[in-house]
Amino acid sequence: MVAERGNASSPAEPHKGESFQIRKARLRTSFLSQLPGRLADARRAVAELHPGEVDHARLDALYVLFHTLKGSGATFGFRQISDAAKNAEQAVRHAMDAGGSVEAVLPTELARLMDDLDALALAAHVQVDPDVAPGFELPEPETQPEPPSGQAPDARPGQPADRSQRMVYLCDDDPDLAAQLAGQLGCFGYRVRAFTNLADLREAVGIERPSAMILDVVFPEDENAGPKMLAELTAEADEAIPCIFISCRDDFGGRLQAVRAGGSAYCTKPIKTVELLEFLDRLTNPHPPEPINVLVVDDDRELAQFHATVLEEAGMVAKAVSDPEQVLSLLDTFDADLVLMDMYMPDCSGPELSRILRQIPGHVSLPIIYVSSETDLKRQHQALAVGADGFLTKPIEPARLIAEVGLRAERMRILHSLMVRDGLTGLFNHNAIMQFLEVAVANARRAGTSLCFAMIDVDHFKSVNDTYGHPTGDQVLMALSRTLRLRLREDDLVGRYGGEEFAVVLSGVDVEQAKHILDALRISFAGVTFFSDGQEFRCTFSVGVSDFPTFDSPDAMTEAADRALYRAKKGGRNRVEVAAPEDALPEPSSESTGTSDDS
Amino acid sequence: MRILIVDDDPFAGAMAEAILDAEGHDCLLVESGVEALDALGEEHEAFDLVISDMHMPLLSGLDLFREMRDRGIPTPFVLLTGDDPEPLHAQAPGIAACLMKDASLEATLPAAVARL
Repeated sequence: MVAERGNASSPAEPHKGESFQIRKARLRTSFLSQLPGRLADARRAVAELHPGEVDHARLDALYVLFHTLKGSGATFGFRQISDAAKNAEQAVRHAMDAGGSVEAVLPTELARLMDDLDALALAAHVQVDPDVAPGFELPEPETQPEPPSGQAPDARPGQPADRSQRMVYLCDDDPDLAAQLAGQLGCFGYRVRAFTNLADLREAVGIERPSAMILDVVFPEDENAGPKMLAELTAEADEAIPCIFISCRDDFGGRLQAVRAGGSAYCTKPIKTVELLEFLDRLTNPHPPEPINVLVVDDDRELAQFHATVLEEAGMVAKAVSDPEQVLSLLDTFDADLVLMDMYMPDCSGPELSRILRQIPGHVSLPIIYVSSETDLKRQHQALAVGADGFLTKPIEPARLIAEVGLRAERMRILHSLMVRDGLTGLFNHNAIMQFLEVAVANARRAGTSLCFAMIDVDHFKSVNDTYGHPTGDQVLMALSRTLRLRLREDDLVGRYGGEEFAVVLSGVDVEQAKHILDALRISFAGVTFFSDGQEFRCTFSVGVSDFPTFDSPDAMTEAADRALYRAKKGGRNRVEVAAPEDALPEPSSESTGTSDDS
Repeated sequence: MRILIVDDDPFAGAMAEAILDAEGHDCLLVESGVEALDALGEEHEAFDLVISDMHMPLLSGLDLFREMRDRGIPTPFVLLTGDDPEPLHAQAPGIAACLMKDASLEATLPAAVARL
């Protein structure tokens, strides 16, 4: 039974006040989310086609299905989906024109096209609302027509919570800045409505409460208009709306006003997108932060267990070990934020264990706190000199243990996230991703698992920057980083390797699987339409991928991936090349991981 | 303008509506030629323009256009199609515009409406 079109759920109700780009993005998302269902309907109908039979009804239904898919696919810019649907439509049309009899080749051909469509649908999922950026328009001053009768107006009180879950209102009197920020946040999955004056913002809040607001501090009417508006809105609402202030004022007075009005964060202009995102993620995330993980090492088993219990009662996750030898293997599976270590253990002292940890790339910055009955300050200092971050004297008050551990782990987490992130894309930076590759190679070697490393480089990126300007170039990089982050699995690591170069560490996949994954990403990214000053353009990327154990060290892997990338560029770009054994490092020479400059 | 949009594909219809809303027009979206005739039958002066998809079950866009003219409804008519628009337009020269349903619609649709 082919799906009744009447039963197809329709796209989300329009928000008339939203900008066109946002509405379009929403429709695209909705189209994509229903695509698998439509394709499954088509598959069922195709499976019912019997060669040699005349089957007008089913052919008609399939024709309508593919024709519709061709039209809406093309409308939303999914050209490849539209083309595949068009081929299927023509095959069905051909059978219809031939008196409605099903030829033997038809089901086979349609099944093949269905495979293509399924793959494209999967690939398209990464490019949900790609063109919210950079093409973004501010809503016109509210001159909305009356909604036609029978249609609900803009406000929809009964809407499901998730629709407004990440809705952010942004208000800045500088329309360029507002558009730019909204576009960037759109890249990261936020629904943003931008306003250039507080009156419009106020009206919108009355209609639909956002999950967070971003407000400028200074407006033409008053240098504290932003905080005043927040205070006003908070006084009227049952529940405060989380708010981030953005301001060119970096003075104490401006910050104080913002804090008094109930602002949760304060970013100074020029705004760093990633910083703003960190705050937004935290403010709009309904989940509590991950608990702090602590590893307690003490040869006194009971004391180790006691300290662990104290920390657990304070909401942390603590593991106790009494044998220092178990620490390394434990850290492979337990992602510790901090190690609490006894200073004097019989087989291996605290400082010795610290040195061992510090010589493993993944644990260089793992916070370590010593616990000992040592009260001699001089000896304490000597102990700290080998790279510990704190010192607690036994017996320790539970409250003090909780405070010391919590404070250090929390600070370390923040510091770590700022240290390892790239400022534009929020991905890991070059050093971090290289360090992760080292850890991944060590793990793969120990566990005998496979591992792939990919280098991704945007094609002709320089000409994008030259033609459309750097802000547009940045939007392309952000769209790509978002594509990578959303699409890859939780445990794949994505980093920005350099300018327009990205690196991905794919654990547990062989090179064929990696090529398949990267090809799907490549195809979907190539379909993303970018807008800049009313012009449309597309971008592609090239990939070089190498695998472990064909290349059995981090250096060999990066070198080989880099050579494969070079081949992909030379071979016409927009392709994935797999590193062959001949891409291995030449005779042992000085280490070099030069990246290719051509793009 | 007050515009009647006719499309059996809810996504394509909603997209056309979004494009025209952004231009400041006032749209009503219906899903079939029959519904469109009902809407026009009550008071066809209520609409300045009809925009219809070509390929719909029962009543195609072209059928709808001819039916409107047979009933003496002179409202300007724009046809949207997933196929080559040229031969279609040739079949009914009275149609104001015949546009291809693809990503360029965002530009071609407002332009066609503006020319009316």
